[in-house]
Amino acid sequence: MISTIYIEEEIANHPRTLAILKRFPDATKISCQRYGEVFNSKSQNFRLQKKQAALILARKHKGLVLPSPKEYAIGAELNYYFSHMLNCLYDCRYCFLQGKFQSAHYVLFVNYEDFIEEMQLLLNQHDEEAVHFFSGYDCDSLALDPVTDFTSEFLPFLESNPRALLELRTKSTQIRSLLKREPIKNCVIAFSFTPDKIARTLEHKVPDINKRLQALLDLQEAGWQIGLRFDPLIYTKDYAKEYSELFNEIFSKINPELTHSISLGGFRLPKDYFRKLEKLYPDEKLFASPQAEEKNNIGYPAEIRHEMLDFCENIITQHIPAEKFFPCHETI
Amino acid sequence: MIHIFCALPCEAQPLIQHFKLPDLKEFDLFRIYQSKDKEISLTITGIGKLNMAAAVSYQHACLNTAASDIWLNIGVAGHANIPLGEVRLVNKITDNHDNTTWYPQIIFNSPCKSTHLITLDKPSTDYQDSLYDMESSAFYQIAIRLGSAELIHCLKIISDNTEQDTATVNADKVKKMISAQVQIIEKLIDRLKPLSTEIYSITAEPEHYQHLIEKLHFTQSESLQLSRLLRQWSLRLPDEDVMQLIADNKSGKAVLKTLRDTINNSEFAIHD
Repeated sequence: MISTIYIEEEIANHPRTLAILKRFPDATKISCQRYGEVFNSKSQNFRLQKKQAALILARKHKGLVLPSPKEYAIGAELNYYFSHMLNCLYDCRYCFLQGKFQSAHYVLFVNYEDFIEEMQLLLNQHDEEAVHFFSGYDCDSLALDPVTDFTSEFLPFLESNPRALLELRTKSTQIRSLLKREPIKNCVIAFSFTPDKIARTLEHKVPDINKRLQALLDLQEAGWQIGLRFDPLIYTKDYAKEYSELFNEIFSKINPELTHSISLGGFRLPKDYFRKLEKLYPDEKLFASPQAEEKNNIGYPAEIRHEMLDFCENIITQHIPAEKFFPCHETI
Repeated sequence: MIHIFCALPCEAQPLIQHFKLPDLKEFDLFRIYQSKDKEISLTITGIGKLNMAAAVSYQHACLNTAASDIWLNIGVAGHANIPLGEVRLVNKITDNHDNTTWYPQIIFNSPCKSTHLITLDKPSTDYQDSLYDMESSAFYQIAIRLGSAELIHCLKIISDNTEQDTATVNADKVKKMISAQVQIIEKLIDRLKPLSTEIYSITAEPEHYQHLIEKLHFTQSESLQLSRLLRQWSLRLPDEDVMQLIADNKSGKAVLKTLRDTINNSEFAIHD
């Protein structure tokens, strides 16, 4: 899977670096001073690199935990995100990471202890308030878990800090490490879904809907709280039929008691990212979708956006109480 | 197109013969060879960074290079302990003068092992655990301005090491060493070609674009809109004849309006 690993000199002897390198004895190892030398260099092609992405092991120095936008909150006033990893194993055509980063290589920041320290500091600053942490903005939280040991390192912190809540956002079925341990109440495993036909068209290398749903059900059965993320909602002429089928499939099987939250939002991207993706994938129909530009973002025209959000909201709220529902009503 | 750069005539000669590359007489600053189908070119640069940088720039100016082209620096290099004649692809280039580093992107199954290379200003026999040459950093520094990191590579054949230093290297030996690795060079090119084709396919203008740009007036911004709308047309209305629809449009603006209105009024399904 990983044939090339770049290693920042500074963390070459970090125990997590050594453990990961042990897993890939045949990979070519290349040392670098700072990951940006490889990752941020211009004149590289994200689309080509996606074919055989390398792993970059690095240290995150600053900006480890950052405030997250209120539109993405799932019930708390204080929301922060952190990225122990940049980029994703999967290849979803709508993903903003393709527009955000120059390179498709996976960057893993191995200094988890510094992330945890910063999270602890934030909790200490906000005495007695609930603080939500989101881990899946710049990567899939679980897809590389067997390699990164992310959950086994971060969950004990959650266990000892009940005021904190961690959202692991994923399309992965890598849930073994979670099933091996007792569930933690303040951890939500949030699965993203689009209807089957749309997923087959746009979500490459991703486990299919049935496998994802099974992983979700296995976690619920083990007592874990799960989240459902219908974001981005993708428009197609039969979206109503396709989303109805998806909702029926999911809501007929899940346990609403162990469903922490459901969120949804229409497909939208910052204009720069959209234009970059359009150039990378000129033959991709998604970028020929009905579109409108507002406040430097590109998304569906308001009419389509509202119609889809209302339609989905109507069905979802029949299945779960309003306090668990978090629609993202950004303009685009 | 594939552009090969060799510092020495003895490095170039086996490749000129193998790929059947006639000399392009019209260019006299550096000797440039090019296959009849114009798919492969080879330039003899001379020794050192300055010569290499000048030759890459000159070749780019002389031949019509594109963002999807493959750029290769092929030649001999020293190493402390790799046996003579072995071949390595370069995965990291450091310029010894200022420690600037580049990372060629090997995103394919390499036909040989890869390793680090240091480019020196002067020849040295102070061998270490890296390849040594005198041109790669300059080659990469200029080529990366013209192409994509996945398509720009340095392939080096070991000509000297601690046991047999540079004094033992001569033109005949170099020719034989390069000839012995032609299959690896072929394999490397075969693995790079599909990547080059993919970049070509995404950078090519959509059908009818050039014709319309030549026929009607479009501002810079309108040209971009035209390109985008023609692409959207081919994805959303692949069976409709776009030229027939806009046949009566007398201006660029009218064409854009017709395309936009028709696309916006069409049904959209993201899958079949």
